[in-house]
Order: sequence, then structure tokens, then C-alpha cells
Amino acid sequence: MRALGIISFEDNTVSIDGLDEFRPVAAIGMMGRYRVIDFVLSNMTNSGIDNVQVYCKEKPRNLFEHLRDGSDYNINSKRGNLRILYGEREFPAPVYNTDVANFMLNMQYIEGTNVPYVLVAPSYFVYSYDFNDMLKEHERTKADVSVLYMNTNQGRTRYLGCDSLEVNKGHRVTVIRRNMGRYQRAKISMEAYLMRKDLFISLVKEAYETSALYWFKDILRDKVDSLLVQGVPVGGYIACLNSLPEYYRANMELLDPANVRKLFKKDRPVYTQTRDSSPTAYKGEGKAVNSILANGSVIEGTVINSQIGRNVHIGKGAVVRNSIILTSAEVGPNVTLDHAVVDKYAIVKTVKELTGTEELPVYVKRRDRI
Amino acid sequence: MRSNNMVAMILAGGRGTRLFDLTTKIAKPAVHFGGKYRIIDFPLSNCANSGISTVGVLTQYESVLLNAYVAGGHRWGMEGNGSGVFVLTPREKSSEDFQVYNGTADAITQNLDFLDNLDPEYVLILSGDHIYKMNYDQLLKFHIARDADATIAVLEVPFKEASRFGIMNTDEKDRILEFEEKPAHPKSNLASMGIYIFSYKTLRRYLMKDLKDANSSHDFGKDIIPAYLNDEKKLYAYRFRGYWKDVGTIDSLWEANMDLLDDSSRLNLMEDDWKIYTESENILPQYIGPDAVIENCSITEGCAVYGKAVNSVIGANAVIGEGAEVIDCVVNPGAIIGEGAKLTRCVVEDEIKVPAGAVYGSADSEHILLVAGGQKAV
Repeated sequence: MRALGIISFEDNTVSIDGLDEFRPVAAIGMMGRYRVIDFVLSNMTNSGIDNVQVYCKEKPRNLFEHLRDGSDYNINSKRGNLRILYGEREFPAPVYNTDVANFMLNMQYIEGTNVPYVLVAPSYFVYSYDFNDMLKEHERTKADVSVLYMNTNQGRTRYLGCDSLEVNKGHRVTVIRRNMGRYQRAKISMEAYLMRKDLFISLVKEAYETSALYWFKDILRDKVDSLLVQGVPVGGYIACLNSLPEYYRANMELLDPANVRKLFKKDRPVYTQTRDSSPTAYKGEGKAVNSILANGSVIEGTVINSQIGRNVHIGKGAVVRNSIILTSAEVGPNVTLDHAVVDKYAIVKTVKELTGTEELPVYVKRRDRI
Repeated sequence: MRSNNMVAMILAGGRGTRLFDLTTKIAKPAVHFGGKYRIIDFPLSNCANSGISTVGVLTQYESVLLNAYVAGGHRWGMEGNGSGVFVLTPREKSSEDFQVYNGTADAITQNLDFLDNLDPEYVLILSGDHIYKMNYDQLLKFHIARDADATIAVLEVPFKEASRFGIMNTDEKDRILEFEEKPAHPKSNLASMGIYIFSYKTLRRYLMKDLKDANSSHDFGKDIIPAYLNDEKKLYAYRFRGYWKDVGTIDSLWEANMDLLDDSSRLNLMEDDWKIYTESENILPQYIGPDAVIENCSITEGCAVYGKAVNSVIGANAVIGEGAEVIDCVVNPGAIIGEGAKLTRCVVEDEIKVPAGAVYGSADSEHILLVAGGQKAV
């Protein structure tokens, strides 16, 4: 499909405590070998979008390293283009660092792209989707803007702070409001918007002129009466990574092969950077049960119901249960972890037991040694 | 990064007939190893890690997959200006009739135009049949320090096995005095590893002379090295101390895989500064099921293990079904072990499906069983 793909960054309703101190949510590790952004970016390239801009609020190093020139994501190195963009100026306060401000600062790269459509989507929604289906709906309904949404019956406890949509019988969006947990049943906006490029540009400019604090979703909320905004429902497995418990929950849900099959379709692979890691070695008493493990790890202890990243070391006698261990972390001998999230390069050695809960997993900071 | 004026030429034309069904469709250098690698990844990664940026790969037998695999060289990071991996297959030339490669030396002779264009000072000759990690830059430094015409990497083997190898007899300074192919009564235990550095100008002269010799078999070991020795050229033996294995048979291929599971074997693929690079696939991490039992295994991405795996190497995308058992096995990429099947001391061919309940191999077999094409072959 002939569209410019824009991967936007999330506003302050999204916070994966601890993990997002060190990198954008887009660059947080998922399921051993992936990063959060891999899912939406693969959706775009699998839909034939060869021209992608990734916007980054701050700390772009991680994304530069991970995305490189886009060739890992099947973006043709001559014909296509993957750009990582960020506001190359100081904002007077972080609150002014909005998606709209960043679009404005990089407007020449949006205006200069020779495509009819713009597709904007954040990375913190994880799902598998062919955006060509959205384009078909968009053309059929002659919408000005199309927006993806998901149905939930857990609106009171989850998806808080997300946009919630009211739609009429024809799926026209009549109201957009922030989900404050009022209704159990809700249509949650996945913040993926498709529209003509010129409309996108004029909406960005209008948002910028309206308020320096406006995000793109704010201008859309204002325009819902004057523009034809169409909702497009999405099914399958969808995770909304807007908090540490939700991030933890998604990783645990993805230990279930049925969910994995919904997220990883044969004809729509999820791409990521590859690292030439050796296979994972199970040594001595090392074993794993109901777990997902990336390559390059050495398992000498026991891993149960967990997600293990690349180059992780699980020591002798250690038991890792219901946990997420990110790249190059180390769990020392005889350490017991339950409901823990151990960030990259962290070492858990002297503390022999860490136990969290589903709602409050224990988080061990990047590079911490405890 | 190019750090020397040396071009590597990998002889990858071998059929590997003793690997039976593993090489009916693909050349031996493309055979899988360690669950995710191919044999040729080892010399190519060694080249990349040694600062060699231009490699010619000479292929001949069933080379479609191999050629596609190595072409371009991006898998080994050789994609910068003036670098790359070049596939060199026999080709028709305006000056003569089409000829396949007749011997290891002939393969190089037929590609002298390729080398002339690159104008290297040194040429490194490698084969695509061995599992080892070696810094060729140290080999080159040795070659330069001795002002040698040729340097041959050698391995000290037990004397009782020496008659299986090409043996170098040297003086006390490791200058080679004599070369004996598979001697019945070996005088030394320095076995040739099939790794040579030649100073290019001299090599070129010898190859041209060898081309005109009707009695020559155009082989480095049988013809070129003896010709050098005959002329009292300076040949030195470089003693390599590290893991090295020829994986020419099912038994030795299995043994090398098992060495991955043994910390004392010195075959370590986890070293960060000497990685073995290979094709990267968009596949899921490995999944270990709720009832899986794993003991001392090497398991790679894309696998799903529901049954039991003991002392085994499990390849990418392989599936060990529920209730299935693999013990002392090498399960190649994409192989599916059906529910309840029991495999002991087997190498399972890539992409094949072992039927549910099948029983192959035994704990006390003399040889390793190759499970191929849905049935067993020895």
C-alpha cells in the first residue's frame, strides 16, 4: 500500500515503570528476542509500506542500534526508507515534547514523501494486522480518518487513560473520550490512524496552532463532528503495554501457544534485529518448563513459566518462576525469583529471594547488582 | 575491515559422499551443524574475524543452495567497499573449452584472473569441511616473520592416527622438509589441516607450471607442495592448538555436535569476540512445553520441545513431539519428531518427519544412525 508509515511515541498516560527510564517504550524487550516496536513495524512492512518514520521522544540511541537501516525489517535499502526522527531542539519543558511538536519539527520529511496516505500508529499496542484491510475499509466508507479499535469488557480495570470510542451502527466515531474506568465494556482506540497525507499535515498544523500542549489525538477529538472518522475493529491477540503490570501480563499471556499463533502468522512474520547468538545451552541440572527462551543463554538452574532473553545466565540451583529476564541479565546460584522483571545486564546474586505479584511484579533495574 | 593484503579462497566443491542423504541435494559445506550453522560458516566467520574482507568460494557440486547462501557476504559482515564473498563456479572461457575443476590446485588456476584483479600479496587457501575457530591473521604474521613462500597449518595428532593424514616432516624450526600423504610409518605427527598461505606471485608461477604438466593431478597436497619442496622453497608448519574437526562422516559430524555439549571439548560458540555468523531467520524464540524434560542440550530458536531431550543438539524450527524422546541425537533444522517416537544415537536429516511411535537407533550401536527421508539409512 502506498502510504507513509509513522510510528509515533506514546503520551504520559503510558508508563512502564522502571523499564522506560532507560529507553523509549518502543525499545523495551519482549518475548526473548523482540522489542516492542518490532510488532507494529513488521505490520507496516508486511502491509507493503516501505517508507517508515519512527518518532522518538528522547533517548534515541537504543532505537538507532536496534532498527539500523531497516533491512532487518525487509525495507528495501534503495527504494524504501526508514528514518528515526526526534526534536532536534530543547523543549522549554518536557510537557511541550508532544508528537505534534515533533511532526512539525520534521514537517519537511513528511511533506516531501510522495505517497497519498499517512498511517500513524504507536508501538505500545502489540498485534498482528494487515493495514491493507484498513485501507479497504477507509476507501469503502469514504472516511476522512480511519482509526483501529478493540473491544474490551475490562474497561474499568484496564486500558485506563487510553482513548475510548463511541461509534454508531455504521462504525462512525461520534465521541472520543479518555477511558477513566467508567464502563466495563468499551471500544479502546489503538491510536492507529489512516488518512490522506494532506489532511494529516493540516491537522498537525491546526493542532500546533491550537495549543502547544496538544497531541494528535487531541485535535482528532475536537474534529470528530466535522470530519468523518470511521472506526475499524480489530480482533485476534492484542496487548496494550501501558503499564508495568500490563507489560508483565502480555509476556505471560504469550507463554500460551494459542496466543502466540494469533500474534505470529506464517504469512506475516515479525522481524527483528538478529545477533548471531549461539544456541542456548542447558547444562548440568539446567531445565525449563512452559517457557520461551531466546538464544545465547546458559541455563544451569530451573526456569518455569518465564520469558528468557538473549545471553542470560541462570546459575546452578536458581529457580526462576513467572518472570521476565531481559538480555544479558544474570541470576546467580540458588536465587529464587517469582513474578520478577529483571532488566538488561542486571545481576541478582546476593539477594536470594525476590517475590512479586501479578499486579506488582518486582522490577530489578538495568545494570543493578543486588 | 580489511587489515591485510590477503584474499581467502575456500575450496567448497566437495561432494561429501560419506554423509549420504545429507548431501544428495546440497554440497557438504552447506550441511547444517550445531542446530543453526552450516559448515562453511566456520571458515567464513574466521575470515571476517581475522580482518579478511575478500573471499572467493569455489563451488561445483550441487551448488545452487550453497551459492545462494554465501553470495554477497552480508551474513559475515563483508559488505563494505571492495569487500565481499564471491561465488566462483567453473565457467566457459574464450580461450579454452569448458572444464570443471579438476583438483584443488586447478580450481585456483581457473580463477587466476579473479585473483589478478584483486592483486593480493598473499592468498589463503581453505576448505569448507572443517569445524574450528582460527585467527588467520596470526597465521599470516607467522608467514611474514619467517619470510616463507608457503605456510601450512598443522595439528599435532596422536601418532597412531597419523597415517590417516597428510604428514609434514619438519626440522627443529618447523621448516617443512618433506610431505607424506597418509604414510604407513609416519615420522612425525604434524597433520596438515588443509589451510595454506601462499605468497601470491610465487604461487601463480607454480600453478601455471602445474597447468602444463600432463602428469599432474592438480592437487595442492600431491603436486604443488611437493614441487615447492623440490625447489627448496621455504615452507613452514604453523602449529595450531585448538579445536579442529573434519566432519566428513555421519559419525564425525555427530561427534562434533556432541562436543558442543561438553565444556571440556574446547569447542565454544558463545565467545563474544569470535562469533560464528550464520543466516538469520525470522523465527520465534524456542518454546519449552509444560511437560518437557531437558537434560544437557543445545537448543536453538524456533524449536518447540514437548517431549524429552537428553544430550542432544536440537536445530532451528525442530519439533520434539509429546512423549517423544531424543537421546544422544542431533536433530537438524526443521525436523519433526512425532509423538512417542524414541531416537537414540541418531542424526536426523533436515526437514523430515519422523512418524509417531517410531523407534530408531540404540544406545550400544557402533555407528550413528542417519534418519533420512522418512526412513533410516546407515
